[in-house]
Amino acid sequence: MIKNVLTSLGGIENYGIVSICLFFVTFLIALLWALLQKKSLVQHMAALPLDGGEVKKEESHHE
Amino acid sequence: MNVETFKYDNRIVRAFAIATIIWGIVGFCAGLLIACQLFWPDLNLNLQYTTFGRLRPLHTNTVIFAFVGNGMFMGIYYSLQRLCKARMFNDTLSWINFWGWQLIIVSAAVSLPLGLTSSKEYAELEWPIDIAIALVWVVFTVNLLATIVKRREKHIYVAIWFYIATALTVAMLHIVNSLAVPADGFKSYSVYAGVQDALVQWWYGHNAVAFFLTTPYLGLMYYFLPKAANRPVFSYRLSIIHFWGLIFIYIWAGPHHLLYTALPDWAQSLGMVFSVMLVAPSWGGMLNGLLTLRGAWHKLREEPMLKFMVVALTAYGMATLEGPMLAIKSVNSLSHYTDWTIAHVHTGTLGWNGFLTFSMLYWLFPRLYNTKLHSLKLVNWHFWLGLLGMMFYVIPIYWTGITQGLMWKEFTQDGFMKYPNFLETVLQLIPMYKLRAVGGTLYIAGAFIMAYNLWRTARNGQFVPEVEAQAPSLAAQREHALQGVEAHGKTAYWHRVLESKPMLLTVLSLVAVAIGGAVEIIPMYLIKENVPTISSVKPYTALEVLGRDIYIREGCVGCHSQMIRPFRSETERYGEYSKAGEFVYDHPFLWGSKRTGPDLHRIGGKYSDPWHYNHMDDPRSMSPGSIMPRYSWLLTQNIETNALAPRLRALRKVGVPYPAGYEYGQALKDLDTQAAKVVENLKQGSITGNPNKEIIALIAYLQRLGTDIKGSEASTAQK
Repeated sequence: MIKNVLTSLGGIENYGIVSICLFFVTFLIALLWALLQKKSLVQHMAALPLDGGEVKKEESHHE
Repeated sequence: MNVETFKYDNRIVRAFAIATIIWGIVGFCAGLLIACQLFWPDLNLNLQYTTFGRLRPLHTNTVIFAFVGNGMFMGIYYSLQRLCKARMFNDTLSWINFWGWQLIIVSAAVSLPLGLTSSKEYAELEWPIDIAIALVWVVFTVNLLATIVKRREKHIYVAIWFYIATALTVAMLHIVNSLAVPADGFKSYSVYAGVQDALVQWWYGHNAVAFFLTTPYLGLMYYFLPKAANRPVFSYRLSIIHFWGLIFIYIWAGPHHLLYTALPDWAQSLGMVFSVMLVAPSWGGMLNGLLTLRGAWHKLREEPMLKFMVVALTAYGMATLEGPMLAIKSVNSLSHYTDWTIAHVHTGTLGWNGFLTFSMLYWLFPRLYNTKLHSLKLVNWHFWLGLLGMMFYVIPIYWTGITQGLMWKEFTQDGFMKYPNFLETVLQLIPMYKLRAVGGTLYIAGAFIMAYNLWRTARNGQFVPEVEAQAPSLAAQREHALQGVEAHGKTAYWHRVLESKPMLLTVLSLVAVAIGGAVEIIPMYLIKENVPTISSVKPYTALEVLGRDIYIREGCVGCHSQMIRPFRSETERYGEYSKAGEFVYDHPFLWGSKRTGPDLHRIGGKYSDPWHYNHMDDPRSMSPGSIMPRYSWLLTQNIETNALAPRLRALRKVGVPYPAGYEYGQALKDLDTQAAKVVENLKQGSITGNPNKEIIALIAYLQRLGTDIKGSEASTAQK
């Protein structure tokens, strides 16, 4: 399938192959990047929305 | 550490919040009005400004750019400040963003009913408004990036990555797709033609869904869901993969809107493959959101916004499973041009965008006004009305889509079309269209209840224009980061290098999204064989150009395609399938995406001129039961002959080979000659036509459609 797609590009096969490779490289880098992060850092990142730095902490705002 | 005190700006958040409520209701009501016109065609009150064709883009533009757009700005301006621990970079830029955006929306609300449209879906606005959109978007992007640069939180949370990708990609898509040559103040012609225009448009159209309706809202989900549930997102690692996977893959998927059309096969296949791959990051994101509530589902009882958020995520999951499925060629052969697509997008917009916006509003108002929500009971009413409304909308319309798709394709045992009259398939759908209107009404009722509830909430409380906050200074953060490098080692270092440099992240995001578009679009220009030329295909005549502009003005493309797919069910019904080379002078392309009425690509010569005249005056006089509105003003309004010269000049600039100086005199003579012929033909139907009226130009255009290759097969260079 991919081969058919790429060969029908006619004369610019490398262009297609390079872009498919780029996709997998990007995906792999993102995967490795995500997996190799220190747990403490990940926890810190995940908690960022919970601390907005407001001086007066928000309370419950419903009935 | 040196702690700084600063203030978050709530005024801009409130302004966008109010705007999203007002425009949301306007957009929903416009949708309901056109939904009702499908079973009650006279509901336009015989006014040209209120026909389905002109109001449909008003509905889509209002809900996408006004409702979701303002909702997106509201959420971003609130969350960005808090995630960056910094006030927005510049308040003036924030307000230029706000008022500029509202001005654009008002311009759209005025210009679209007037018929000032480029006809490209979700990019209908004409060139002056396009320029204004680009300028306001630049203001927003500068404000966003500069706020990130001056932040006090060293790390950039994943929501901000989604905001950056949104800002950059929307700018890229908007500019590339809107490139056009103006003919006058509010009329322009796309620089692209036919197949190329279609590819660029759907690269834009699909990614408008991706980067306007999806990525910013995913960013908002990653902020507001943990905030409301008071717990971190289920997996931050998954969110990183979600982000890069999504933005890289999404950009490739545009051609799935053009399956089985005259678009080259390689581009269709590429679009299909990447569309199917999209399901992985999309579901990764949805599950990440839903699993954040693992063990905390009881909070749905306490926090009303969470209920809306869960429905939004579920709708997102449904729409993103269905989308890749619809992108499979065999499924698409049934679903395309039917109401199935309409049901699909409404699962996304009513469920994902609508409910997520409502959830943010319910979260924000009590905080902006430092009070409690006026009534939880009313929130529940809104929730159930909205949910029921959504069900009553999408289920009948799914039914409609599949019914119509099957009816179009059905043959008798003897090999004849079972429903040769297109109208038969339309009449079958009317009860479902009525049910859809009931669903829409329920959804709108819910939105009104929300508006009332939030208004009462605001009245009960006192607006908090600014919120004081504290965070360590940047200098202290830098020092802290340097110590961190020593403590965490190399991996942490590289992570920090990438993530702490917003510009680097910005460039990488842009590269990721630019690659897919470039690979699909550039070959379409470089390789000539992608659009084989057909020698018998000639530019439109002067009268036909003006007729085509009327077709564009009236939004005919909203209900009629001009693209016959290579299926027996289509060639039997409409004629020879459409070839890429037939559209080389079509600036813009008018292939359409929905067949509420039949395809028109081979309409030329199918009916007589008097038939068209009577049909446009009163469709039901020629096709009893037709749901097309009357276009009687075409019989009384004069052709804009003054516009002819600048339009032909503009078309020449975009590549249509009209001879130099043709527009000075000869074009008008040709126009008069052709108009006189149409008037002569009308006499056969005992009609005394006036050659100066718009109907003459429109008939000339319709009679030309698809005729270039008829009887000239031998002279084609088609491969």
